[in-house]
Amino acid sequence: GCLRPVMAAVPPSSAAGGPEPPPPPLQYSLLLQHLVGDQRRPRAWDPAALGGIPSPPKSEEQKMVERAMESCAFKAALACVGGFVLGGAFGVFTAGIDTNVGFDPKDPYRTPTAKEVLKDMGQRGISYAKNFAIVGAMFSCTECVVESYRGKSDWKNSVISGCITGGAIGFRAGLKAGVIGCGGFAAFSAAIDYYLR
Amino acid sequence: MTQACHRKCVPPHYKDAELSKGESVCLDRCVAKYLEVHERMGKKLTELSLQDEELLKRMQQGAGTA
Repeated sequence: GCLRPVMAAVPPSSAAGGPEPPPPPLQYSLLLQHLVGDQRRPRAWDPAALGGIPSPPKSEEQKMVERAMESCAFKAALACVGGFVLGGAFGVFTAGIDTNVGFDPKDPYRTPTAKEVLKDMGQRGISYAKNFAIVGAMFSCTECVVESYRGKSDWKNSVISGCITGGAIGFRAGLKAGVIGCGGFAAFSAAIDYYLR
Repeated sequence: MTQACHRKCVPPHYKDAELSKGESVCLDRCVAKYLEVHERMGKKLTELSLQDEELLKRMQQGAGTA
């Protein structure tokens, strides 16, 4: 509740010569010190009394684990591993449908051997996996940081972090590519966010 | 405090049962600010009422001796 300004109370002024002495004024400063100042005593906050839904109190380990799982680092690591797996699968799959392996200029109709195909699949899988992992980790990390900074949870977080990630990726190929990457990735994240919410 | 911080930090979009990261960060900051302001105001009011009491005592002593 709000504190209202209180001033020392003046007792009703007894006329001079009255038989009983005026009662001492209430010392509000002392009251205040006991209520909100240095001499207040600590209270045990009971959520049932405060109007909350009573639930069993969480143990310290549970709180620690929950705090770790909600942290930005954990989310980024999770996105990294997920991106790696997804990228690997995607790379292996696209290697199967888009082969340009074992091309021999002297014999263009030669079918590649199984060993060559497998090697190509492995290489492409690893390369796609690494890219996906980096992009996923960057996006998740920036989104978490932006959300922590703003203190709100809405669609703008994913757009901003999409722009940062796309810009960082495209920036290696020049400023214009960075701007295009920013816009493209931000639009992509906005679309995914719209679909998910 | 609960009402003020809820109004500030938790928008009425109830898609997810748990508090999101942004909301919990906002609630942390809101509660910390509220408690700090509460403490400062308490100290200031204690100071003011002390001054008032001293003034009153002096007035009464002056009235008593007069």
